[in-house]
Formats: sequence, structure tokens, C-alpha cells
Amino acid sequence: MTTLPVDNPMNVDESPDTRAPLIIGHESFDTVTAEICRVNEAKKPPRAWYIAMAMSVSLLGLLGCMVGYLIFTGVGVWGNNNPVMWGFPIVNFVFWVGIGHAGTLISAILFLFRQKWRTSINRFAEAMTIFAVICAGLFPGIHIGRVWLAYWLFPIPNQMDMWPQFRSPLLWDVFAVSTYFTVSLLFWYVGLIPDLATLRDRATSKIKAFSYGLFSLGWRGSMRHWHRYERAYLLLAALATPLVLSVHSVVSFDFAVSQLPGWHTTIFPPYFVAGAIFSGFAMVLTLAIPARELWGLKNFITLRHLENMAKIVLLTGSMVGYAYGMEFFIAWYSGELYESFAFVNRAFGQYAWAYWIMVSCNVITPQIFWFKACRRNIWVLFVASLFVNIGMWFERFVITVTSLAQDFLPSSWGWYEPTWVDFVTFLGSFGLFMTLFLLFIRYLPVLAIAEIKAIMPAADPHAHDHDEEAHE
Amino acid sequence: MNTTLNATTEQLHLGAMGKKFTGVGVTLAVIGVGGTLALASSAGAETFWRAYLFAVSAAFAICLGGLFFTILQHIVRAGWSVTVRRTAEGLAANLKWMWILLVPMIVLVWGGNGHLLYEWADTDLVAHDYLLQKKAAYLNPTFWCIRMIAYGAIWAVLAKFFVGHSIAQDADGNVSRSSAMQMLAPIGIVLYALTQTFAAIDWIMSLQPTWFSTMFGVYYFAVSCTGCFATMIILLAVLKNGGKLGNAVNTEHFHDLGKMLFAFGVVFWAYIGFSQYMLIWYANIPVETGWFFPRQMGEYFYVSWILIIGHFMLPFVVLVSRWPKRFPGVIAAIATWMVLMFLVDVYWLVMPVVPTDALINSETNDALVAAVEAGEVSIGWNPHLIQLTAIAGVLGLVLAGWAFALRRCSLVPVRDPRLPEALAFENL
Repeated sequence: MTTLPVDNPMNVDESPDTRAPLIIGHESFDTVTAEICRVNEAKKPPRAWYIAMAMSVSLLGLLGCMVGYLIFTGVGVWGNNNPVMWGFPIVNFVFWVGIGHAGTLISAILFLFRQKWRTSINRFAEAMTIFAVICAGLFPGIHIGRVWLAYWLFPIPNQMDMWPQFRSPLLWDVFAVSTYFTVSLLFWYVGLIPDLATLRDRATSKIKAFSYGLFSLGWRGSMRHWHRYERAYLLLAALATPLVLSVHSVVSFDFAVSQLPGWHTTIFPPYFVAGAIFSGFAMVLTLAIPARELWGLKNFITLRHLENMAKIVLLTGSMVGYAYGMEFFIAWYSGELYESFAFVNRAFGQYAWAYWIMVSCNVITPQIFWFKACRRNIWVLFVASLFVNIGMWFERFVITVTSLAQDFLPSSWGWYEPTWVDFVTFLGSFGLFMTLFLLFIRYLPVLAIAEIKAIMPAADPHAHDHDEEAHE
Repeated sequence: MNTTLNATTEQLHLGAMGKKFTGVGVTLAVIGVGGTLALASSAGAETFWRAYLFAVSAAFAICLGGLFFTILQHIVRAGWSVTVRRTAEGLAANLKWMWILLVPMIVLVWGGNGHLLYEWADTDLVAHDYLLQKKAAYLNPTFWCIRMIAYGAIWAVLAKFFVGHSIAQDADGNVSRSSAMQMLAPIGIVLYALTQTFAAIDWIMSLQPTWFSTMFGVYYFAVSCTGCFATMIILLAVLKNGGKLGNAVNTEHFHDLGKMLFAFGVVFWAYIGFSQYMLIWYANIPVETGWFFPRQMGEYFYVSWILIIGHFMLPFVVLVSRWPKRFPGVIAAIATWMVLMFLVDVYWLVMPVVPTDALINSETNDALVAAVEAGEVSIGWNPHLIQLTAIAGVLGLVLAGWAFALRRCSLVPVRDPRLPEALAFENL
């Protein structure tokens, strides 16, 4: 086997008897360190960072205002009504939790599948996961009405002997999401330790050396450290893998355990998981494309990485399409009046516009990735990823609102209309997400330096015995 | 790290061992098919056809799994699996002739006797049943037969393409064959997903025509993963034990196939099975619970528990550790157990059925339970020797077909461009 020249700018063409290099432009470890640390060590971030930060913080401020307004006034400021008791809050919750799936999929499942290209994107996908789950957690938290009693969500022993309803999937959600958050955070942090130590060792000021030093837990890079680190990483990957499936499965139970047509369908758990991965990868693309331009990370996040992600978007988008199709087919096949009505009503009823936005963004858009030219065009990738994000938000809107608005009895049908507070709160959650993300890019190693080095040809102990298979 | 293939020509070909495989397969097939035909008249037509469906569903699950595995390796451009891929291709190659197994069912349904197997093919029943009339646009003999022909043809074409190119590459070493397979694999997987889903609906789900579950296609996919991965491990272990394969397949490959069996055949299967059951149990809508009703009654109650314990809990505990996957003997024993559980699972899918009349006409669940206990309503519990002969016959055919497909070609894709990766591969 031969390898492609390291400076192959495209890094995407791979004939079956070669493996393209995973990163390009680097022969040695120290240039990798220098190039990645440059993002954090630059005196000033690019101007775009300031502009983005200003916008994000403003949105975050708006979110604060909206939450304050909500708490002082009450849930009535939202459009939630009877019968659509669950409006934007649950839609936004599911949207953000879904986005939070790519990080752990990349870090855990792709790790177990030995997909080494993941090392270039796992760090910020994991960061994105954590911030997305924070955004997700916000919505049920403020939806409960009396936010100061949010801790009642947890089964804490109390003198009133009051407990949450253990048979409710909403409580399972509390467990599933908090477990997921904890494990994702741990996973992210464990992976960060060697890189934090690198930043500590390169620090030019005492404050930096102290703060990076504090969080790198005395990492010296000894053999023993690495041994324990790798074991911990593998175990966390194994623990996180079932969580990728369980979290969104439990979220899907919120809907599917009911008897409501359009909600109660057995394919929901894997369908939600596929949708979550779909939206998560779309968000990774949305963030990675500008990030690699602005901070010059194109040697690490190569076109091939983007192409691989496009393929995953195509795969999961088609899985979601399969689920839509199967729901429709079975709704008809069941011969149940209400089942068929729910789906026909989605497609042709009062919310048909939302349904068709969903279908065109989620099912039709990803199909362009059958073509190489689309997978390799940055602009197409970026625009398609935005469409997918939009489509996946609408998917949750369609599921939640159409089924609730018109179920069994026409006399209890209704119409849901979000208020301006709903919109601004949702917009504000992007402020929270982006603020955290921009801070992360500025102060933490944005790519997994140690892991990238491990997949370089130079790290292969056999590289010199068998040059031809250096890219195993 | 060794990247050269250390195996003699003899080790890379079935040779005399092929005759043994064929011998065992043909013997099983002759005894099985002969026994089934001999028992057919005494067992009665309905028992015969149900046993036939059971055997066909199991055999297709294994071979479709082989097709899935083969296509998947091309999609993801896998390196580690090159040396075990030929075994899966041998299973997939059966699909080139297995459409013949569908012919008797097509003849049955087309010929107007479909009611022996499927209630929806019973014209008298449909005439009185509103639900079945509504479904008749899909569940009718003509369309059903057309679908069967389509599945058989699509699978045969897919198998011919992927197996054919791979075997041809042994001779010419042409890298463009790998590219061609890589290129068409995504389309292959889409066709596979759709046909497999609807085949599961047509063969098994429509046995109880009032019942429906959007998850059913995925469940049958999980079933076929169990059957295929376990079968592959057994076949490879037998080959290895017979001194075949040289260094081409080693501990690392058994380890990885063990992981696949664990991930898809045990955990994913349980995840899908649990999700389907839990959602139906929780909502407790009679038309949906009707399918689980017979599976929680009488003897099937124990069969269900055998599956929960034997198909999930035990193999989970055993396979989660590293070492059982790294001893071919141990993993082969576990795989044999999993094949047994896979057969129990298919039996559990195909056999229990409550007549639609009884489901609809019972006022309450308790009344239905009482009727079953009184023997007025059948839940399909009918263990019969013919089921054993049918499955033995069809699995014998699959084994003989596998050995026949690999009779001349190499047991490993010797000139696959990614072969060195598979040889060098290590689980660190």
C-alpha cells in the first residue's frame, strides 16, 4: 500500500488500496501542538469572534430578560394552551437534547468503531454536546411554573413524603438527561487533561499556568498516567455508548407511552436516536465550517472530515425518512381511523406548512449528499446543515403540536400559536449556547491535541518496519 | 505486525472439508425435507405451512444478515473484516437460489389456499371483517405474491453483484471491483432495508393481520443480526479447527465478531424488543396488546422468559468481558447457544397467533384468557416434529449452499486491497 502525499490539499480521494492521511501538513508532533495552541495563545481572537460574542451575549441577555419576565408573570406569557399544553418548551428541549447527541456519538461510538478521523472533531463536538444539554435542561426547568421548586423534579426524601411520579417518562427523563450530562462532562474533562497540561506547560503568564495547571490535575505525561488515562477513556466510552441510545429513547417515551395518535408508535425510540444524531452532526458541521476557516484549522478538519460527516447526515437523514414513511404506512395499514387521521392531518391539515418544511429539510435536503460534488462543497455543506437544523426543530414542532391540537374529539380541538416571548426565549437559548461555545474556543484546546498525535503516522510504532502500512 | 498472508493454498480452500460440509448439509436437508414431506399429511396443512414459514423466516434471516454484513463492510470501507467477509458472502450467496423457497408459498397464496397460513387470505373472513377489508389493498394474494417475487429478485441480484465481484477479484486482483462495490453499496443497503422490512411485515407481522408495529422491520433486522453473526462465528471456528485459514483469521477477528454479536445480536436486539414491548404494554390498547397476548399465555409465557434470560441476560453477562470473545472455542460455544436462541426467537415470532375473531369478539381480556384456558380459543401452541424437520431441512440447505458457493474460490478474499489491514489488525 502507498500513502497519498501529505500535502494533498483535498485529502478526500481514497482509492481502495490507499488510506488518505487523517490530517495533513504535519510531519511532527510539535507543529501540531503549536498550530492548535495558536487558537488559545493568540493575543487576540479574530474580529469575527468579537462580533459573534457580542451577538451571543446580547441574545443571552435577552434570554435572561425573558426568563425573568416568565418567572415574574407566569407561564401564561407563552402560547401554551389547552389542548396544546406542551408548546415551545418541549419542542426546544427535544431540539437541544438532540443536538447534544453528536458529541457522545463521535467520542464514544466512533471510538469503539475505531473511526480515527473522529479525533479532529471530537473535542468541540463534545463541548457542543455539553452546552446543548445545558440549553435543553433550561426549558423543562422554567416550564414547571414555580422555578424555585425545580428540585422537586428529583426524588429527594422529604418530610411531606412527596415523591415524583415514578411511572412517568418525564421523571425518567430527569435521570436519563442528568446521567448523560454527567458522563459526557466527565468524558470531555478526562480527554482534556493531557491537553490542559500542554497549555499549562506552554503558558506565558502565571495566571494561565496556575489555572491550566489546576485543572490538569498534576499531569506529567508519565507512562503510568497514560496507561490509566487510556483505560479510563475506554471505560467511559463503553459507559457513554448505551447513553447515546438511552437518552433520546427516553425522550421519545415522553410521547410514545401515551395513547395519542401520532405519538404512540413503536419505532419512536430508534427513530428519535437517529434524528438526534442527524441534528447533532448538522450542528457540528454548522460550527466546524466557520471555525476551521477563522482559526486556520483546515489541516486538521480537512475536507474529508466534512465529507464523512455529510455521509453520516445522509445516512441518519434517510433513517429519519424511513421512520416517517413507516409511520405513514402503518397508520394506513393499522386501519385505525385516528391513526390515519393524525398523519393525513399532519401532511394536509392546518399545520401542513410545518410538516412540509420538516420533510423538505430532513428528508429531501440530505439526499444531495449522494453526490460527491455536494459533499465537497463548503457552501453546500454549510447551507444544508442549516436546513437540517431548521428541519429537526420543525420535526419536534410537528410531533408535539399537531398531535395535541387535533386528537380524538373535534370538540376539544384547538390551535396553537406561539407568542413573542416563546420566540425570543428560543432565540435567547442560542445566545446561551453560542456564548459558552465561543468561550470554549477561546480558552480551551479546541481540538484533541494528544489524540490527534496518536493517529499520526509518526505515532505508529511499526511505521518504520512497514512503511507501506503506516496508515493502517 | 504481520501483513503477509501465511497460509497454504490448501488452507485457503475448502477442499476435502467442503465435501464434509456439503455432506452434513445435504444429509440434514434430505432428512429434513423428507421428514417434513412425510409428516405433512399427518400434521395437517396448517401445521405444515406454519412450520415451513418458521424455517424460511429463519433461513432468510441468516442469509440476509450475511448480505447486510457484506454490504456494510464496503460502505464503511472496513479493513479489519476483509478476511471474515468471504464467510458472510457465502451465506449471502444462498440468496441467489433461496427465492425457490418462496415459490411454494407463492403457489399456495396465489392458488387461493393462502388461508392455510394467513387469515387475510381467507375470503370468507375478509368478507365479514371491516378491518381486513380496509387492509385488503395491501394484504391481498396478488400483491403479496408480486412482493415476494420482487424480494427474491432483488436479493438475488444484490447477492450476485457483491459476492460475484468479490470472488472475481480473487482471480484478477482488480482494485476497481472494490471501488464498484463501494460505489453501489449505499444503494444496496437502501434496497436491503426496504425489502427486509416489508418481507418481515408480509411473512410474520401479517400472520395476525389486525396487529401492527412500526418497529417490526427493525426487530427482524436485529433477529437477522443475531442469526448471521452467530453463524459466522461457528463457521469460522469450524474452519479454523479443521486447520484452515492460516493466519488470515485469528483471535482478533473472533474478538471483533464477538463484539458485533454482543452489540447487535444481544444488546440491540434487547433494546428493540424492549422498546416495542414497553410501549405497547404501557399504552395498553387492545388491538396492539393482542399480539403479546398469546406470548404471555400458557407455554409461550415460558418461551418469552427463555428469550429474556437466554437471549439477553446470560449472553450479556458472558460477552461483556473481553476474554470469552478471544478464545475461538468459547466464543463458538456462545455462538451456538445464540443460534439456538435465535431459532427460539423466530419460533416465538411465527407460531403464537390468536384468531382475529376471538380477539375481536371477546368482551374483556379476562374472557379471552378464560376462553384460552378452556381450550375454546387456540393461541397456536403446537410443538410438532415437523417444525424440527423443516428447520433442519432448510438449515441443511443453507449449509450445503454455503459450501457450494465457496467450493472453488478462496476462503479469504486473497487479493482484496485492504487484506493487509485485516492481517495486521490488533485489538489493543
